[in-house]
Amino acid sequence: MFSPKLLLISAIAVALVGSILAISSLYANAQNDEEKAVNSRGMGYYQTTGDVLDPAGSSGSASTGIEPMKYLRTFNYGRVSTLPNGTTLREFTMIADDRQTMEISPGVHYNVWTFNGTIPGPTIRATEGDLIRIHLINNGTHPHSMHFHGIHRAEMDGVFETINPGGQFIYEFYAEPYGLHLYHCHVQPLEEHISHGLYGVYIVDPKTPRPDADEMVMMMNGYDTDSDGENNFYTVNGVPFYYMHHPIEIEKGRLVRVYLVNILEFDQINNFHLHGNLYHLYRTGTDMEPDDYTDMVTMSQGERAILEFTYQYPGQYMFHAHKTEFAEKGWTGMFLVKE
Amino acid sequence: MIASAIIPLVVLGAMVGFLLWPGNGLLNIGTPLPDVSIERIEFLDGRIAAHIRNTGPQAVEIAQADVNDRIVPAAVEPSKTLGRFAEAKVVIPFQWIKGLPYEIGVTTSDGVRFAKAVAAATPTPQPDAGRVSLFALLGTYVGVIPVMIGLLWYPFIRRLSQPKYSFFLSLTAGLLLFLGIDALVEANEISLENVAGAFNGQVMITTAALVTFLALMYVSDRLVDGAKGRVIQGSFAIALMVAIGIGLHNLGEGLAIGGAMVVGEVALSTFLIVGFTLHNTTEGLAIVAPMAKEKPKIAYLVALGIIAGAPAILGTWIGGFVASPVASIVFLAIGAGAVFQVVVVIGRFVSRSSGGKLLKGPVIAGLAVGMLVMYLTTLLI
Repeated sequence: MFSPKLLLISAIAVALVGSILAISSLYANAQNDEEKAVNSRGMGYYQTTGDVLDPAGSSGSASTGIEPMKYLRTFNYGRVSTLPNGTTLREFTMIADDRQTMEISPGVHYNVWTFNGTIPGPTIRATEGDLIRIHLINNGTHPHSMHFHGIHRAEMDGVFETINPGGQFIYEFYAEPYGLHLYHCHVQPLEEHISHGLYGVYIVDPKTPRPDADEMVMMMNGYDTDSDGENNFYTVNGVPFYYMHHPIEIEKGRLVRVYLVNILEFDQINNFHLHGNLYHLYRTGTDMEPDDYTDMVTMSQGERAILEFTYQYPGQYMFHAHKTEFAEKGWTGMFLVKE
Repeated sequence: MIASAIIPLVVLGAMVGFLLWPGNGLLNIGTPLPDVSIERIEFLDGRIAAHIRNTGPQAVEIAQADVNDRIVPAAVEPSKTLGRFAEAKVVIPFQWIKGLPYEIGVTTSDGVRFAKAVAAATPTPQPDAGRVSLFALLGTYVGVIPVMIGLLWYPFIRRLSQPKYSFFLSLTAGLLLFLGIDALVEANEISLENVAGAFNGQVMITTAALVTFLALMYVSDRLVDGAKGRVIQGSFAIALMVAIGIGLHNLGEGLAIGGAMVVGEVALSTFLIVGFTLHNTTEGLAIVAPMAKEKPKIAYLVALGIIAGAPAILGTWIGGFVASPVASIVFLAIGAGAVFQVVVVIGRFVSRSSGGKLLKGPVIAGLAVGMLVMYLTTLLI
């Protein structure tokens, strides 16, 4: 039964079959299914029958639960009434929550902490001298607060009164000075509360309005989705690369005013570079005279500036962080200038 | 009778069913962490391909890929959804530069990034006819030719007196013992560096080695029993077992050479080939030693040489074109189990031919010298 010859022959047979299998498996993948293209924009193309991952390309346009296009030009003026002394009162209800998970980039889900369910939180806008009343409700599982930049009394600073889960608080202060400000949660650990998304833009208009313009808000942020103290994504207005596949349409010859705020956590030095144009820069927006005429502004966390520019030529123009790491991890967008 | 065998299985099935029942939160303690291993990175013409495997406890979805932590467009084949232990290929169109270090990363749907660094990008050999024959040639150099050279010791071994013969047989056993230990150490290194914890690398190595050992032990005993009464056949059977054991071992060596070529350690690979050639010449000696007192046909000797040497060719193909680290450690462990079995067979043969006593001077000296010689040849690799 076990003759050496038989064993010898079978050993050789096994070796032969093994070799054939090994070689044939090398060519086995060459089957044609429905093919899709990966376009690496200058780095080449690749045809695949598998799935395409391209957050910056057309496949990145999938709904993410955050709406950067809506956020861009939405300003909340509050419920307006006039006090007996003639002062305008603006009332806002803000609901803090920390239980949501959102798709912050195509296919990537992250536990976001939000004001009124969005990242960034709603843009609050008032005119200098208005009385602002914010009704904060904490629907989350952690204590939260709202800290506004600007001039106000110590009790309204949102630092010492932390609002526990289920709690409420009313902030009241006058809108001053005019300029571009921001608000964010100021509960420890601050890094955690800010990096998860509890922030928003707060604009105080001067009593004499600025010239008419196409106005928009840009909040520069990041997401550390694996909690290693470094951002995995950088964005403007909440979704990486969003304005690459949804360019912002603006008109040729019309003044554009960008309210630009940097809230970036961890590596906080961020910047804004505009292609094919330069802008007048109003740091913090607290002066009507521009500080600079440039295409590059660099800001640390909490810094902000108003940018004004007008395009002379139609076409597509990029804007992005001129820190290529940020740009290639999502902080890149496009203006589409129309006739 | 049958019922009594099945009842425990039914109860066990019911318990597993209860634990896995959707909505049973009894054992939902803690958060299962995802784990994705990048097993192999290929640098191709105008693109980079990373072979990934889901080694975490649950299915994962790959959301994006990156090169040096910069998000890039990519394809995932066959699908971006990977079940437990499933693998996929991430293809990134990318103009990489030869010799530069790269880090390739993938991010899962919960935002966790997994990455693997490559010290220097080198074009990955593609399995075209030229490469296949080049690798076959390498396998022949390290496997077949040295073993054949070793077989040339046959006339020398033939003329030895009994104690000297025992010495050389034991020397063979020493060589093989060393090879087995070497293979286990090598497998362990690969397991620590490149195999995800979920595969339980060390346990897998031990299991594969032991199972191979036991299986070959059984086959070998049947072989020798079947040949009883015919002395030539009996010693030939032992030589055949030695050749098979060495063949399995050479498969592992082929894997190492193919693998080194793939990751671009070409200089190392040339050195590896010279080292293996010297090292493997001793294996021919191991094959002829048990047959020294017979007169085997030349054709049989050649056949044994091919059984022992040719798997090195297969090994270079697998290592160069398709190997995963998991396959490598399994092959190495099988090789180790095989050579340990051969050591036992030779030990029995020596003890039988020297009158039932194993621990004699020539035997001990042979074992020791065999291991030392092997150690010295490994310094060349």
